[in-house]
Amino acid sequence: MAAAAAATMVSSAGGLLAMLNESHPQLKYHALSNLISFVDQFWPEISTSVPIIESLYEDEEFGQHQRQLAASLVSKVFYYLGELNDSLSYALGAGPLFDVSEDSDYVHTLLSKAIDEYVSLRSKAAESSDEAAKVDPRLEAIVERMLDKCIVDGKYQQAMGIAIECRRLDKLEEAITRSDNVHFTLAYCINASNSFVYRREYRQEVLRLLVKVYEKLPSPDYLSICQCLMFLFEPEGVANILEKLLRSENNEDALLAFQIAFDLVENEHQAFLLNVRDRLSAPKSLTLESVQPSSSDPPAAHNENSTAPEDVQMTDGSSAVHDADPKEAMYAERLTKIKGILSGETSIQLTLQFLFSYNKSDLLILKTIKQSVEMRNSVCHSATIYANAIMHAGTTVDTFLRDNLDWLSRATNWAKFSATAGLGVIHRGHLQQGRSLMAPYLPQGGAGGGSPYSEGGALYALGLIHANHGEGIKQFLRDSLRGTNVEVIQHGACLGLGLAALGTADDEIYDDIKSVLYTDSAVAGEAAGISMGLLMVGTASEKASEMLAYAHETQHEKIIRGLALGIALTVYGMEEEADTLIEQMTRDQDPILRYGGMYALALAYAGTANNKAIRQLLHFAVSDVSDDVRRTAVLALGFILYSEPEQTPRIVSLLSESYNPHVRYGAALAVGISCAGTGLGEAISLLEPLTLDVVDFVRQGALIAMAMVMIQINEASDSRVGKFRRQLEKIILDKHEDAMSKMGAILASGIVDAGGRNVTIRLLSKTKHDKVTAVVGLAVFSQFWYWYPLIYFVSLSFSPTAFIGLNYDLKVPKFEFLSHAKPSLFEYPKPTTVPTTTSAVKLPTAVLSTSAKAKARAKKEAEQKANAEKSTGVESSSSAVNSGKGKLPSDKDGEAMQVDSPPEKKSEPEPSFEILTNPARVVPAQEKFIKFLRDSRYLPMKSARSGFVLLRDLRPNEPEVLTLTDSPTSTASPAGGSAAAAGQQSSSSAMAVDDEPQPPQAFEITS
Amino acid sequence: MDLKEVSQQFERFKAAFVKNDFDTCANLLSQLKVLLTKFRSLPPLFENTPNAVNELLLAREIYEHAVVLSVKIEDQDAFERDFFQLKPYYTDVGSRLPPSKQEYLILGLNLLRLLVQNRIAEFHTELELLSATALENPCIKHAVELEQSFMEGAYNRVLTARQTAPHETYVYFMDLLAKTVRDEIAGCSEKAYDYLSINDARQMLLFSSDQELLEYVKEEHPEWEVKNGSVIFQKAKESTPCKEIPSLQLINQTLSYARELERIV
Repeated sequence: MAAAAAATMVSSAGGLLAMLNESHPQLKYHALSNLISFVDQFWPEISTSVPIIESLYEDEEFGQHQRQLAASLVSKVFYYLGELNDSLSYALGAGPLFDVSEDSDYVHTLLSKAIDEYVSLRSKAAESSDEAAKVDPRLEAIVERMLDKCIVDGKYQQAMGIAIECRRLDKLEEAITRSDNVHFTLAYCINASNSFVYRREYRQEVLRLLVKVYEKLPSPDYLSICQCLMFLFEPEGVANILEKLLRSENNEDALLAFQIAFDLVENEHQAFLLNVRDRLSAPKSLTLESVQPSSSDPPAAHNENSTAPEDVQMTDGSSAVHDADPKEAMYAERLTKIKGILSGETSIQLTLQFLFSYNKSDLLILKTIKQSVEMRNSVCHSATIYANAIMHAGTTVDTFLRDNLDWLSRATNWAKFSATAGLGVIHRGHLQQGRSLMAPYLPQGGAGGGSPYSEGGALYALGLIHANHGEGIKQFLRDSLRGTNVEVIQHGACLGLGLAALGTADDEIYDDIKSVLYTDSAVAGEAAGISMGLLMVGTASEKASEMLAYAHETQHEKIIRGLALGIALTVYGMEEEADTLIEQMTRDQDPILRYGGMYALALAYAGTANNKAIRQLLHFAVSDVSDDVRRTAVLALGFILYSEPEQTPRIVSLLSESYNPHVRYGAALAVGISCAGTGLGEAISLLEPLTLDVVDFVRQGALIAMAMVMIQINEASDSRVGKFRRQLEKIILDKHEDAMSKMGAILASGIVDAGGRNVTIRLLSKTKHDKVTAVVGLAVFSQFWYWYPLIYFVSLSFSPTAFIGLNYDLKVPKFEFLSHAKPSLFEYPKPTTVPTTTSAVKLPTAVLSTSAKAKARAKKEAEQKANAEKSTGVESSSSAVNSGKGKLPSDKDGEAMQVDSPPEKKSEPEPSFEILTNPARVVPAQEKFIKFLRDSRYLPMKSARSGFVLLRDLRPNEPEVLTLTDSPTSTASPAGGSAAAAGQQSSSSAMAVDDEPQPPQAFEITS
Repeated sequence: MDLKEVSQQFERFKAAFVKNDFDTCANLLSQLKVLLTKFRSLPPLFENTPNAVNELLLAREIYEHAVVLSVKIEDQDAFERDFFQLKPYYTDVGSRLPPSKQEYLILGLNLLRLLVQNRIAEFHTELELLSATALENPCIKHAVELEQSFMEGAYNRVLTARQTAPHETYVYFMDLLAKTVRDEIAGCSEKAYDYLSINDARQMLLFSSDQELLEYVKEEHPEWEVKNGSVIFQKAKESTPCKEIPSLQLINQTLSYARELERIV
């Protein structure tokens, strides 16, 4: 009986549905409440009676609870019928009966529907800005209930995500402050807002809120606050924080301030940095007379030199000034340091030292290139010069040029221009001596004499040396620009000025350049256009319309192109704010302006992965009538997607198989740009077939792109790198190869070994913000299609792959840390060798394809390359990366791990870790293996694995051992080139400072 | 006990029912239904309470009376409501309860109702649910035969069947059936003839007087015209022409496909 009873189930909801029609309200209620529990089973039957239930819901005489019951029932039926909109609106009517915490498909589906609905309503309201608050309060209540529940359940990340999407900053704040790990959630939130909030204004609101929350915390995370403030462009906030930290008694706070400054510098926002620097108040001891009560307004932004005794922060009376004197002295000392950092000088100088002393460039490769290139072919000749410059970018090693002065002198006209400019790349960041280095080539006031090409090139070189840090050189470049009317020199000076004053929006410079533009000379005008853009990067100033007007006016294509790119540069990072201008450009009659429009799209949405921009670009890529525009549209995808490199190969894979070679070329470069330095497998697979394309310029693009992808990846991590290097060599040696692809191969060998094998192309800083200079550099670089000298802009995107730890004095102390991976995975590529040496069997890399002829030739030069061999021979015998340095720790007292670390004989199996010594080369892929030793003397201020990191000294009383402080000669000659360079140091360089590489002697290429 | 209370109430209902005091009946019935909702052993919950069988039996009887009552007060909606509420007692718990004497009578009534309302599909659905023995029952058989005659168009047989009704309650529906038949005939005539003389129409529609016919036309078919001693059926409206082929749209679409094909990278 019991079993039978248990098995009894209703077979139909008919009876209950019939009961709904009864006149007695209690019967209706009974029917409703029973139907609710059977709706999951009998919804098909109930669905025919929905009108009756709806009328019950609308029946005013029916009780509140009953009506909600009816709504809930209808909502469920609609849910089963797939009518989510109706279902949601009835669920809203159900009030409390719709239980957000219920764990059922119905509730989950409706909740997500409700949130979607709410999000779209909120964002629509926010975008139209008028008639907001039209959102159904019941809907709002549901979402709020959901948010509260998330917060109560400890699912803060979900709550934050929803709150951000719904534009409920109040809830976001609540979620953050109530979370158990505020710092962690804040970091998560910053990340989320940067990668998922597409509208710029709103993102700024979120960041403002975050700063507010940060400031309320008992122990604020100043590093993150300052990052946010930089995004918001609020220099006074940063300046206040820095000043507070600098005035602190504690050395640790000062270290933190330095660290913040380094992090800000990494984002390369010159205008912002200068602004912050100028807002830091001068120490009191110098400004006794200026104790005014109304003192808190910071100095004006344009005041470049903050030595002027402007103002102080506090108004606590002049009597305190004398008491605080030692304090003020300390502050003054720290202030000098931080100003050095903020101006970028400190980091540039350290980078320069690092690149110089760790230079591992392989001169043999260049030599092979030089010999295989026909003398008459000027394209390849210049390409070799470009490759040399890129290979030695920032290392100050110009041995190759010195050794081959005869060969170099074949460069004439514009080739001479770029040869001279190449020196700028090699000496990039050599701020103090840049001017004297270039002096022999610079225009001599009125005397003339020199070739205008080398003079123009020298000005361009100065710009490259001072790129984005041009305060010291600006004036000189301006004078040179004004003092000439030779268009080649104007060209160089414009480019130089643009580079040096990148993003400063200096009106006076702008006017100077504009007057050059209005001379309507094609050569000078093109550079002027680009230069104006560089000057106005990311300002969205109304100057853009002025430039656009002139672009319509002029007859010269070159000028139009320069201006188009310049206009594109002005809208850098503006996202939606640039839409009108982009629209205007992309609808223009002139294909060159449309082409500029593509760049504008690329730069305005750089790194945002914005779907709208991608869609637009894809549309142009397949529909525009001009090949140039199509090529650029595809290429531009690379800029938009560099924050998500994995996406790019997928998106352009179809385009890379296009029948149109221009589109294929664009696809190759898009992958190259967005996946630069990642060594991404898919990217390489996509590029590989393109390097064998039938069209020469596609091969060129693919080779360059491949080099960009593979930079700082060695053969041990991806075997295809070795294959690619051999392919490059084969193309260079092949007599019958087209000049275009040969040039590509030569440039590619330069890029893949760029900066003495110690730099990578990095478009994002470690905090995932875009690096302005790097992006701009690549954008202009991609113009080399029209104008080869622009190749040098690629050097702007190089950043050293280094870990450089600094102590309080901003010196590099000895500090060891662990790389928990096989050393061979990240070591330098093996240097190429001539086949006669013993290591040839072990290292077949470079020799496989060389013919007997090449062997003979190589033998002949054996003595010539004595320098190179000396060093390479030493290096190849040891397995650790920093063999010279790696041994040092073993004779120090210390950690147990070191006992087995010193490399022994070759036969020994490879260790699974290595000890690196500050400063060390840390390639991007290696970063995740970096660990800091626990009982080390120094403790990093933040857990960064590369870049500049301030170290806290836990044993300040012990004497410090410093590295990388002395002149480069003392570092145990890591590269043959450095030894040679040091040997040639002239005694005449009187101004040489101890901690700077000596400027090499000038040489003459005008023969 | 609730059960006792309900039984007493039910007794009062039955007393009133016998006296044909339908107003009292309706009142009491409404109260009874509310009381029944308190029993958890009843559908749809079917909880196995100690008094389950008694409660179920009582509830079944109440609803059976309710159905009969609705026929008596000639309320088809109430009939349908009560019947659906009664049905689970036959289908879902039929095995647990002794069979009811009223069961086939009520099922037959329901079939008849469906026939009257011309809901033939539902009629057959119900029929399929019945067992073979049930089909032998005179009440059911009556309904089935009626339906057959109805479908064949043997309307006279349908009308004469009124005399052979197995139960007094059937008479109500048989009367209604006559009207259903008339509607059917009217529908057919409309299709079959352009017009009919009043005399023919009266015969055809089984009216005894012209007056009745005219009234019927006025109420049910205002679109008919009575003119010159004949009833003119308005021709059914011309069926709407089949939809036009959206040629322009198709051409455009094809062209755009072609353009996109050409553009494909």
